[in-house]
Amino acid sequence: MTAMTISSMATHEIEAVQRAHPGVFGGNRSRAIATAVWLAIIAYTIGSLWYFEIWKLAYASDRTWRLISNFFVWKDMETWQYANIYKGIAQTLAMAFLGTLLGSCAALVIGFFAARNTMPSRIVRQLTRRMLDVFRGVDQLVWGLVFVRAVGLGPLAGVMAIFISDMGTLSKLYAEAIENIDRKQVEGVRATGAGPIQIVRFGYIPQVLPVFISQSLYFFESSTRSATILGLVGAGGIGMIIIERFRANMFDQVAFVVLNVLVCIFVIDWLSRLIRERFIGELSR
Amino acid sequence: MANAVEYTPSGDAAVSQFERHRSDLIRSRRAMNMLFVGGFLLVLFASIQVSQFHPDRLASGLPRIFEYFGTIMPNLELDKLFLGRGENGRAVPGSITFWYSDFWVYIRLIFETILMALTATILGAAVAFLLCFPASRNLAPNSVIYALSRRFMEFCRGVPEILYALVLVFAVGIGPLAGVLAIAIHTAGALGKLFSEVNENASMRPVEGIRGVGGSWFEEIRYGIVPQILPNFTSYTLLRFEINVRASSIVGFVGAGGIGQELNRVISLYSDDRVVAVLLLVVLTVTLIDLLSERLRMHFIGKENFR
Repeated sequence: MTAMTISSMATHEIEAVQRAHPGVFGGNRSRAIATAVWLAIIAYTIGSLWYFEIWKLAYASDRTWRLISNFFVWKDMETWQYANIYKGIAQTLAMAFLGTLLGSCAALVIGFFAARNTMPSRIVRQLTRRMLDVFRGVDQLVWGLVFVRAVGLGPLAGVMAIFISDMGTLSKLYAEAIENIDRKQVEGVRATGAGPIQIVRFGYIPQVLPVFISQSLYFFESSTRSATILGLVGAGGIGMIIIERFRANMFDQVAFVVLNVLVCIFVIDWLSRLIRERFIGELSR
Repeated sequence: MANAVEYTPSGDAAVSQFERHRSDLIRSRRAMNMLFVGGFLLVLFASIQVSQFHPDRLASGLPRIFEYFGTIMPNLELDKLFLGRGENGRAVPGSITFWYSDFWVYIRLIFETILMALTATILGAAVAFLLCFPASRNLAPNSVIYALSRRFMEFCRGVPEILYALVLVFAVGIGPLAGVLAIAIHTAGALGKLFSEVNENASMRPVEGIRGVGGSWFEEIRYGIVPQILPNFTSYTLLRFEINVRASSIVGFVGAGGIGQELNRVISLYSDDRVVAVLLLVVLTVTLIDLLSERLRMHFIGKENFR
């Protein structure tokens, strides 16, 4: 049907078509509901922005302008203590690496306790899962803050925070991978008279290891992102440098550090994609 | 089956050939594995060195962790559990009333946190909706606009929201507005990417049809694309709302409002049961929102969209 034939149709013909296919064109009622929903959303947005004191945005213009111009005009670049900045970035990467490694090691054991097919006891399984829910439910930054209180400022708190929250999520993913395996291999190993440890070693591990490794690589990636902000609560790494320099109004250095971190994260993403495609893809086939 | 049991000299030759190939394969893989293990150990020791993750520090730190968790646990006594406030208006130590003395303050802050997440999701989704069409390869009017909108969205989601919050707290002052704007910026970037992926998977036939009857670029999108993608957009937005509730309970750490501000204050200033009181409420809220939004997604979109 072309534009010509549509415009040449009479009004009563169009109405007849609409009556014949009420589902396609929609009645007045559904249109009214849609309008009401949109009006409600718009009213809510305006109301809540008023509640959140949106007018403060107008008063903030000169301060914002100073802030933005300081972000882009870089002064006294020779006094920026680059060694410190790159040490912070290295510390962040180390925190993410150690936290994810420890988390994966713990998850390797806990995963078997949380999987339905390896843990026959319902009570143990449920207890393990609820514990994991707590580790996962509390945000990493909160763990960071808690561990800073417990062990003091520095990267140890950051490693612990990443360890706890990665353990919570990875154990759950590992347990799911264990539940999804092919039973035949396990039964074959059991038929040879293997003990429980050997069943896990030769029946389960070869099947789930590629999944485990690629999940852990994903988490290393996401941990490098979250490790940068863990420092904001004092848990070591580049975040501590960012917040120190921000508090000292050295915005140009903050912009430089954030740019460096973004480049770093980009490189890590690329590297881990490379590893996954080259080696894990090969293993899982 | 018969020749499987039969042992012939040629079978032995085949076995020895197999064994030879196998040992070659093992040798070649072993070199690769050694390289991997070596690199791994190198990185491990480097990161232990850099993050000062020394055994003695860990040994002195670990007991303190358990000690700290002991102090923040609520001190509840079973016989006094449900006692209300006494005549003098003081709660009895050991009762839930004592543990949650500031209950209504927390509830007000949690309500504010949810409002923050909702407003930020709406604002971010609106921006993402506008940006996702020029940022999808099949709909972009030209490559310059495509590249520009892509880079802009990458920047929005590349920087963590709490850093935006830090900057915005400086710009507009302490309070929830900074948090809302920070989360909205991040949401615009993250949702914009997902939306444009949905657009790229949409069928182009309706668009071609509308182009055929002489529709403009806006009409192509309004009548060709939007009806196809709306269910997916709704589901992604709801999913983002869940993530934003978590985020808005955190941005308060840098002064951007919500329950995070109280959480930060309680953890930094006190070492008592108030920490667990707030934490428990936050976890409960987040879980509840997750469950509700999952129900809503199922209701709107149906199960088949969640593979």
